Amino acid sequence: MGAAGEVVMSGRLDATQSDAALDFLAKLDRPEVVDLAGLDYIASAGLRVFLLTQKRLRAAGGGLRLVNVRPAVHDIFRYAGFDQILDINRAAG
Amino acid sequence: MNEHQTRVMGEPSQLPRLTRFLRDFWVTAALPPEAAHPFEVALEEVFMNVATHGAPAGRPAQVAVSLRRDGEELTLQIEDDGPAFDPLTLPTPNVYARLEERRIGGLGVHLVRQLMDAVSYERDGACNRLRLRKRVARTDAAGVAGTDRNRVG
Repeated sequence: MGAAGEVVMSGRLDATQSDAALDFLAKLDRPEVVDLAGLDYIASAGLRVFLLTQKRLRAAGGGLRLVNVRPAVHDIFRYAGFDQILDINRAAG
Repeated sequence: MNEHQTRVMGEPSQLPRLTRFLRDFWVTAALPPEAAHPFEVALEEVFMNVATHGAPAGRPAQVAVSLRRDGEELTLQIEDDGPAFDPLTLPTPNVYARLEERRIGGLGVHLVRQLMDAVSYERDGACNRLRLRKRVARTDAAGVAGTDRNRVG
């Protein structure tokens, strides 16, 4: 967790990490802001984590806001059309 | 021209070995680090498809991966000995669908197509062969890092 209570994810979100990431997010009641400044890799297994989490939170009236998303990771979200279903903010610079 | 090859069992646990293989090649070929991401993703997507769906009866598939650089073009080739399957025939997912209509899965091959300049499949005897190509400039090429002009979309 970050200083303001936001969720911080870093490293790689690949097929070997995605189940653990999903379990982690599932334990949080309101993981609305997720800081991805330290996330330097994502593949479709990682997209699945955010899709399932977003579906769960939307059903409960909430939603994810991803902040400080690196350009390479942002490209993956955009190619998958996740910028249509998630609030995604690129890292500055 | 540089070419490197490796072989692994088609099991999900082998993914980190392939990632290391790609990164080692990147360093040896003096390629810009930021240009590795599309290739890492493409390699993971293709390999995980084989590892989870592409096994022959009774055993994991054998997977051979090669990376070759010709000038500014990089070719990633992934072969397996599983049943004939052309992943490029998979339907394109609707990336404009509403959240409620989104399905789990089906995005991997779509990402590969988006990230690469060219993707081709062939069945060669008992082997599936997927060949992925993309331009990647070298870091020592007259101050041109190359990632911007390689960016797709």
